[in-house]
Amino acid sequence: MPTTARTVTPRMSRFMEAEPRINLPATSEGRPSTMVGRLAARRSLRSGALWGVVFGVYIALQENAYVSAYPTAATRARVAATFGSNAGTNVLFGPANQLQTVGGFTEWKCIGIFSVLGAIWGLLLATKLLRGEEEAGRWELLLAGQTTRGRATLQVVIGSCCGFVALFAITAIFAAELGRSAKIEIGVSRSLLFALACVASAAMFLGIGALASQFGPTRRQAASYAAGVLGVSFVVRMVADTGSHLTWLRWLSPLGWVEEIQPLTHPQAWPLLLIAALTVISCGAAIRLAKVRDLDTSVISERAHPVERTRLLEGPWGLSLRLTRGVLTSWAIGIIAFSLILGLVAKSASSALGGSASVKRYYERLGINGVTTSDYLGLALLIVSVLVVFAAVGQVTAMRVEESTGRLEPLLVRPVSRRTWLGGRVGIAVAALISFGLLTALATWVGAVSQGAHVRFISLLEGGLNIVPPALCLLGLGVLALGVWPRATAFVAYGVLGWSFLVDVIGGAVNVNHWVLDTSVLHQMAAVPAVSPNWTAGAVLIGIGVIAALTGGVGFGLRDLVGD
Amino acid sequence: MGTAAIKTANLSKNYGTVVALRGLELEVAEGEVVGFLGPNGAGKTTTIRLLLGLINPTAGRAEIFGLDCQREAVAAHRRLAYVPGEANLWPALTGAETLHLLGRVQGHTDAAYRDELIERFALDPSKKVRTYSKGNRQKLILIAALMSRAELLILDEPTSGLDPLMEQAFRHSISEAKERHQTVFLSSHILSEVEALCDRVGILREGELVEMGTLAEMRHLSALTVEATFDGSVPDLSKVPGVSSVEVTGRVVRCQVSGPVEPLLKVLSTARVHELLSREPSLEELFLAHYGPHGDAEDVPIHGG
Repeated sequence: MPTTARTVTPRMSRFMEAEPRINLPATSEGRPSTMVGRLAARRSLRSGALWGVVFGVYIALQENAYVSAYPTAATRARVAATFGSNAGTNVLFGPANQLQTVGGFTEWKCIGIFSVLGAIWGLLLATKLLRGEEEAGRWELLLAGQTTRGRATLQVVIGSCCGFVALFAITAIFAAELGRSAKIEIGVSRSLLFALACVASAAMFLGIGALASQFGPTRRQAASYAAGVLGVSFVVRMVADTGSHLTWLRWLSPLGWVEEIQPLTHPQAWPLLLIAALTVISCGAAIRLAKVRDLDTSVISERAHPVERTRLLEGPWGLSLRLTRGVLTSWAIGIIAFSLILGLVAKSASSALGGSASVKRYYERLGINGVTTSDYLGLALLIVSVLVVFAAVGQVTAMRVEESTGRLEPLLVRPVSRRTWLGGRVGIAVAALISFGLLTALATWVGAVSQGAHVRFISLLEGGLNIVPPALCLLGLGVLALGVWPRATAFVAYGVLGWSFLVDVIGGAVNVNHWVLDTSVLHQMAAVPAVSPNWTAGAVLIGIGVIAALTGGVGFGLRDLVGD
Repeated sequence: MGTAAIKTANLSKNYGTVVALRGLELEVAEGEVVGFLGPNGAGKTTTIRLLLGLINPTAGRAEIFGLDCQREAVAAHRRLAYVPGEANLWPALTGAETLHLLGRVQGHTDAAYRDELIERFALDPSKKVRTYSKGNRQKLILIAALMSRAELLILDEPTSGLDPLMEQAFRHSISEAKERHQTVFLSSHILSEVEALCDRVGILREGELVEMGTLAEMRHLSALTVEATFDGSVPDLSKVPGVSSVEVTGRVVRCQVSGPVEPLLKVLSTARVHELLSREPSLEELFLAHYGPHGDAEDVPIHGG
């Protein structure tokens, strides 16, 4: 039988012809040696601008809230008398100066919180662009171009500055424009100094993040080193602001330096020198270390042959516990430290606040009728609840990272069902969040009782458990996103958190329709132990979370696994 | 005859308007070693991810040992081990910890064989995964799969990043698996590897299986390479029926012959042939014939009947 064979013709195969059309952008005109910096600038500009808008909107809300809530000199004087020298509120927001002026109030309500948010932005950005890129192996590709390790690090620092400049510029535009209003009347130069104070910590922690990237062998470790510096700075700042005899401690904390600027009350430019010095020195040290160390090494190196620990590695749940325990322990330490300080200052704060009619009205907005230690703690625990919700969001995004990086596959190609893995991961997160509530109660109680405050442990236990349902609700909503819209998991989780926070801030400042307020997972919480817990609201939040998580679990079981 | 290790029926996967896999009909018998070839984007990894239940088919179904890959994924996974082309593992765990975990999750580990594999692949398991090179990470995931002695090994470009010595160690391990009557489904770009290891080969092109057969069948159905050296003048072979790709270098002519060789022999008998060589195409030539710059699988498929 004759053999039939194929004809080979000298032309491109259909497959080759079917190649997609290449449509690359025109070659950049930039110098090759500056491309690393341009890339870093591009990646930092968007987030810098976004946070600039957030800062600007928050400033506008606070200024407008003040002029509408305290329209007369008398009401403003009462606010100043009440909060001006109160250790409890100073611990939360920083020292209050000239609260009888819109500038003093704005400075008090903005700088403390912006210092923390700006610092988190800065350290996350720097560690992402430096150690994160190095860990992912992309840094190596960039270094193979027309640059060196030291120069590339310098370029990233300069590129990150573009994001910082965007953050500052947008904050400054909002502040200056708002300052022109007849009701607010803050001069342009003061507005600019105020904007600089708002973003100063971002600059410092960009530098500290760059330096930490040289010390930590992974992005996570580098970020945790920088976050550790932030945590210590914050605690030192809190302690410094608890009483006049400890004020000197403020000089030991970069966040304390920012407070010393007092741009809208007693403007001082010279703390900016300390801030600039820390930023320049840390950036310079980072560049120097990047230059002298080898690629893929760090100043603090890991042990080449660590001790083998297989105790938890018996299955997917144990692995989840092993992978999350470090982060959860860090959260627990932070929450305990924060709660302890709140407990320590609770008695003095409530006694200073007591008897003030305006404070009573302020508290009444939160449903609190009186100013006792419990009342102060009711307000304080609402702030701890934001930390717990943040921890919940972190857990959801970590689950998504396991999938998007492909690290879920080695488990799921073995006899492990998706629901088993997800159930274990969510179970650990739920247990951690409940533990955070209990630790909050315990630490606050220890702090308060050590100062002779009369507050029952059972009340604080209720308060601690009361802050858990919003976190559980957000955890459930995050799992829903993971199940049905995986690439948007972080966006949805942080979006719900941001929206809830914003609605709560607006709701605290101006009258907002209750339907809008009800969309905030944070708004449903009663200020326990100041008032009785609203277990019904808590049960509804948990119910929403459970239904969302179950729906997400079903979606996760049915959909394709997807990368980034 | 027992249940097929792998069986697909009209298995298809679309991503939006992009067809990644179209109506795949595949059957791999127990104990067979099957190679799966195709250029980047042909649908090889999509097929494997469908078999593993990591993604859902747009149409059709797939079975592993008679178990539905979607609905009975966990039961199917008890009987298989998988090696991806890129090992994404937990960077904070050591190699030993990773092997311990994956062994426990799999449910079965041949500890003695694991130790033998660690030695064969020259892996230091005491280091953290983060510090491993790409090749070492690949060795780790290979050992994790092989040590389970699973009935079916699904390997997706398993030797990417391995040096030639380790490539040999891999071939040795697959030969052992074959001797133990394990089934191997090997997707690879290394044609010599497929040629050396596989009983049958499938070629995937633009999401469609265009070839499936033994290498002998494929060679038999494909063009023959003929090289003739002449003492006198070189005849014009380009007009000879069935002859193509004629290359003349001095007195040496190289050409491809499709179909009957008789017309060519008639022409050659009239010339002064000093030397005549003919050989079957290698798998690489078969592959390039499909996908290389001179390939055109569209006109006449290799399938002869």
